[in-house]
Amino acid sequence: MTAEPALLSLTSVAQAIAQKRVSSREVTQSCLDRIAKWQPRLNAFMAIEAEAALKAADAADAKLSKGHLGGALHGVPLAHKDMYYDAGRVVTCGSKIRHDFVAASTSTALQRLKDAGTIRLGSLQMAEFAYGPTGHNAHYGPVHNPFAFDHITGGSSSGSGSAVAARLTFAALGSDTGGSIRMPAHFCGVTGLKTTYGRISRAGAMPLSQSLDTVGPLARSAGDCALLLGLMAGADPQDPTAIAGPVPDYAAAARESIKGLRIGVPTAFYVDDLDSEVARILDETIAVLKREGAHIVEVELPDQRQLTAACQLVLAVEAAAFHKRWLIERPQDYGPQVLMRLQNGLAIPGVSYLEAMRWRGPALAAHNAAVAGVDAVIAPVAPVAAPTIAESDVGNSPDAESVIQRLTRFTRPINYLGLPSLAIPAGFTRGGLPVGMQLIGRSFDEARLLRIGAAFQRASDFHERLPKLS
Amino acid sequence: MTRPSPKEAKAMADVAGVPVNAEVAARIANSIGPAFEGFAAVAGTLPFDLEPASFLLVQAAKDARKAST
Repeated sequence: MTAEPALLSLTSVAQAIAQKRVSSREVTQSCLDRIAKWQPRLNAFMAIEAEAALKAADAADAKLSKGHLGGALHGVPLAHKDMYYDAGRVVTCGSKIRHDFVAASTSTALQRLKDAGTIRLGSLQMAEFAYGPTGHNAHYGPVHNPFAFDHITGGSSSGSGSAVAARLTFAALGSDTGGSIRMPAHFCGVTGLKTTYGRISRAGAMPLSQSLDTVGPLARSAGDCALLLGLMAGADPQDPTAIAGPVPDYAAAARESIKGLRIGVPTAFYVDDLDSEVARILDETIAVLKREGAHIVEVELPDQRQLTAACQLVLAVEAAAFHKRWLIERPQDYGPQVLMRLQNGLAIPGVSYLEAMRWRGPALAAHNAAVAGVDAVIAPVAPVAAPTIAESDVGNSPDAESVIQRLTRFTRPINYLGLPSLAIPAGFTRGGLPVGMQLIGRSFDEARLLRIGAAFQRASDFHERLPKLS
Repeated sequence: MTRPSPKEAKAMADVAGVPVNAEVAARIANSIGPAFEGFAAVAGTLPFDLEPASFLLVQAAKDARKAST
């Protein structure tokens, strides 16, 4: 057993606790020790609940000593993005408006992880109301990248990306409406799964855009994401958009070879205007997948700019509608950038919004036809590695929206189409910043993405590299 | 489909019940203009019978769903 249990993977630590090779208390204390050291530099946690976590760990150990294994993640401490309702607890949603909001119920995704035996370390920082791709937060300060403290984490699941990368939690829930899981995974060097729309219940997760919101994990490996997805996926009477039907064995899929799978490389858009280091890492990633037995083929995708535009129309209107009451009553309590972006949705006519919604079906059908010959598509998550916190602090300046759109141009089309996408650490820039690639699949085909991601991680070590606290 | 002018953006925000001043209206028009332009080729071209729920039908179509088993 390692001297520092917090450095184990989620899968390994769950097995170690179940086999009594390490106690939940030892694991929890290890995480808390790291949190105490790193939090002052990262600002990744919104709340740290050390005493309660240790008490829960002791209870988990006591149960296990009597032969009661509570679930697949018995006694494993986790922390999640502070937008998952947990009955009786404050859930800030990264906002001033909800700084004292106490949830009346528990989100389905969180409850399923609790049912699997997890315990709570606290809650994680995020962009205000999950509406920001950089990791800035006007109320609680920016979250810092563990690999370079003056660089952004990406958002909106900023605390999730930072805390998983620094090994403060074994995994964390994020949410992805326009790239909010994949961007922090890319910038922070962790694995993040944006699930198919409808794969995991959204009940009890703070809404931003009901047509685009998805729940998913950030973790240290594709295998760990597979374990978490298997626990959370499936129908939920509280969310009619969560699909029924059997949940595949994702963990088993992640162990399979990718020999013979066909992976598509887009001929345009996702390969245009890339930073040279991102382009290099894309080529290197493709080479690894080829060595692992995948066939690499070119794919010509439909116009992705139209998808991005449609995504912006839908997101802006739905977000403005959710926030309308507070836009009237409490505009002064929003950060400037979030207020600006929410106001954008006020000036989009209902007809334009509905046209964007009506086009989703044909747009997805066209995409499916374009990728019919491949098992997945590989593309960069973003055209650049993490910029500095200072240079990306655009606030509500006139060009803020265009800066945000440029940063998220490779993630938004996927949200509009509701597709799954797995972001994996794929390399580092010469300056030491992580770079991720996304594997984009067919609807509900997370299993194949996890299979490809895990195969890549068996052949590389980027996901195992630790940031240093200096 | 054309991008709204600041004056139009202000009028729409007013109608939505969240009045904004001229400066904010200009910023809104500037921010959402590219989305209108990007979607212009699609707007006004969709078939009469097409409903938003067609997305869920395509998503759940046999080929897509087969992938999850």
